[in-house]
Amino acid sequence: MLVAQSGPIAVLSREGRRTLPTLEVQNHQMVGLDDLANLFQLQIREDTAARAVTASYKNQTIVLTPDQSLVSASGRLVSLPAPLTRRGNRWLVPVEFLNRALAPVYDVKLDFRPRSRLLVVGDLRVPRITAQYDDTPSSLRVTFEITPRTAVTVTQEQNRLLLRVDADALDAALPSAPSQQGLLTAIRATEPTTIQMDLGQRFSSFRTSPVTSSGAAALVTVELLAAPIESSVSPAVPGGAPAPGAPGPAVAAGPLPTFSGSIRPTIGTIVLDPGHGGDDNGVKGPGGAVEKDVALAIARRVKGVIEGRLGMRVLLTHEGNRISADSRASIANNNKADLFISLHANGSPRPSTRGATIFTLGLDRFGEDARRQSQADRAVLPVFGGGTREIALVEWELAQAAHLDGSNAFAGIVDERLRATAGLPAVTLQRAPMRNLAGANMPAVLIELGYLSNAEEEKLLTSADFQNRVALALAEAVAAFRDHLELSPQVIPTP
Amino acid sequence: MKSVNRTAGLYIGLAAVLAIGLILLAVLGPRWLATVPEEAAAPPAPEAEARKIRARLFYVDEQGTGLTGVEREVLYGEGTVEQAKRIIEAQLAAAPEPLASAIPEGTKMRTVFFTKAGEMYVDLSTELRQNHPGGTTSEILTVYTIVSALTSNLPAVTSVQILIDGKEVDTLAGHLDLRRPIEQDLKWVTN
Repeated sequence: MLVAQSGPIAVLSREGRRTLPTLEVQNHQMVGLDDLANLFQLQIREDTAARAVTASYKNQTIVLTPDQSLVSASGRLVSLPAPLTRRGNRWLVPVEFLNRALAPVYDVKLDFRPRSRLLVVGDLRVPRITAQYDDTPSSLRVTFEITPRTAVTVTQEQNRLLLRVDADALDAALPSAPSQQGLLTAIRATEPTTIQMDLGQRFSSFRTSPVTSSGAAALVTVELLAAPIESSVSPAVPGGAPAPGAPGPAVAAGPLPTFSGSIRPTIGTIVLDPGHGGDDNGVKGPGGAVEKDVALAIARRVKGVIEGRLGMRVLLTHEGNRISADSRASIANNNKADLFISLHANGSPRPSTRGATIFTLGLDRFGEDARRQSQADRAVLPVFGGGTREIALVEWELAQAAHLDGSNAFAGIVDERLRATAGLPAVTLQRAPMRNLAGANMPAVLIELGYLSNAEEEKLLTSADFQNRVALALAEAVAAFRDHLELSPQVIPTP
Repeated sequence: MKSVNRTAGLYIGLAAVLAIGLILLAVLGPRWLATVPEEAAAPPAPEAEARKIRARLFYVDEQGTGLTGVEREVLYGEGTVEQAKRIIEAQLAAAPEPLASAIPEGTKMRTVFFTKAGEMYVDLSTELRQNHPGGTTSEILTVYTIVSALTSNLPAVTSVQILIDGKEVDTLAGHLDLRRPIEQDLKWVTN
């Protein structure tokens, strides 16, 4: 029987990178149950009487039978391409065990990528990247397909182009570069999240095309342009400037200027605004819970989930102190936030009132005038590096007027996620002249997550389980809104 | 004799100026008085106070998320400002059973202003804020109780701004923008 060492699997998680050794047994890639036990805190137990091996994780159990390819994972039968095999004192399972048996019982997401030999643990952003080449006589187009859509930046550093991906790691499958044109000599993924393209001697410059979407993937095209053939390069005139009328050199001497083509993520920064704070308690529940504490606790959980799962920058307007309404909006504006979410707990004169409400800014006649004015008043200003940029002139206190379409779109997504993920039965969308939203110069909502004046909802609002579900729902809503913006970027700001 | 005649002419001239002034005051006076704080206006006659009108007052609906309008008798007031005061007084009073009021207990009316633009400024005592239970819904119900009561019953009133203790305020309980007069919004009235 052939037993040969094979390349290890890289295990990526928030804690870092570890390796999982593999063995090849009869053309199957196998991993040791003992190694899995160390990595994933499994309890491995051998029951000789029952001729079974069990791998337990918390209250979930996987039952394997020697020389059998069928495995029971928490009562569900799954098939593996090779049976449980004994080698010396070790039990080996095929690598497919990771996705088919271990992932369903593990409480953190597991995703084994066989092609790149990556095992992704948790919600790390590890986009798949493939490349295609399309050559013409004077250029080479390299089209990267990135799944899911992820922001990238392309820069030139000396004789190489670097495509940096906004992710935790890369799952890259890059075919060899066509070298016959002398534009690209090699292409490879380098640590941690960069694709490096080594440039050939004929390379002159490059350009990037706007990102397009193909299903869940983004297509990024980098076109490498060839220098004209040597005969077009005129010799330098000794001791002075070129003769009048003589053609200048096609390629400037010395290193090429660095050009950066950047694709900006649609949501980079989010500001969360916990309601009230300091000596302003907000609503007080019949059981003694106060709104300012509930709002801050939920905001902190939301921040953790969005930062951890979506990799966005999340700021809180305060950490428990009192803050003015204008300061709340200005923190979002000054940090160029792409989304402003104010979190509250509600109160009603009727103790039985329950349910969540999502508010967006409602404009009265004055506000509508301001909104029309914001569309009419535009100024053309010069920008650094040349050129001009048209900006809308909006009254500070009604900056939100220009973003109402985006705010209402986000409110609709939050409504859907609060019902589906947080399990809230009653969610209402409302528009009202909300003070904290008026000055926000980006899509903004105020979410009342429930009635603290209702004894049952007070218990719910203060429970860790509910707060975690809300945090997850809002993170999902943010991700869905980002996708919505990428597919219809004209939504924000309102033209 | 000449000086006597001149003195008599002076008196006649002064009397004429005084008479014209009184006529102008009689014609323009009421309109002018209506735009200044009501304390400057003459107190209404006792017999006018006894009269009553039917007005629509607003209370918290059964769900606790909107207002319900109820026809009730309110003291008659001469002119928009006086009538507004009588309506607010009735609205600030305790709600008849089984209705519930969104106005915090102890709130008193300080004064009322009215502008030619149809904006009414209602100055309420500090209890409006001190005794408010908080929460966006409660705040909306409190504010729109006053806005609805005035705009529904007084056609001349197009919007209402609430002042507390004589001062403009940002919000009542941290949510609604009270820096400008608020217009009637019937979505908060459920009947």
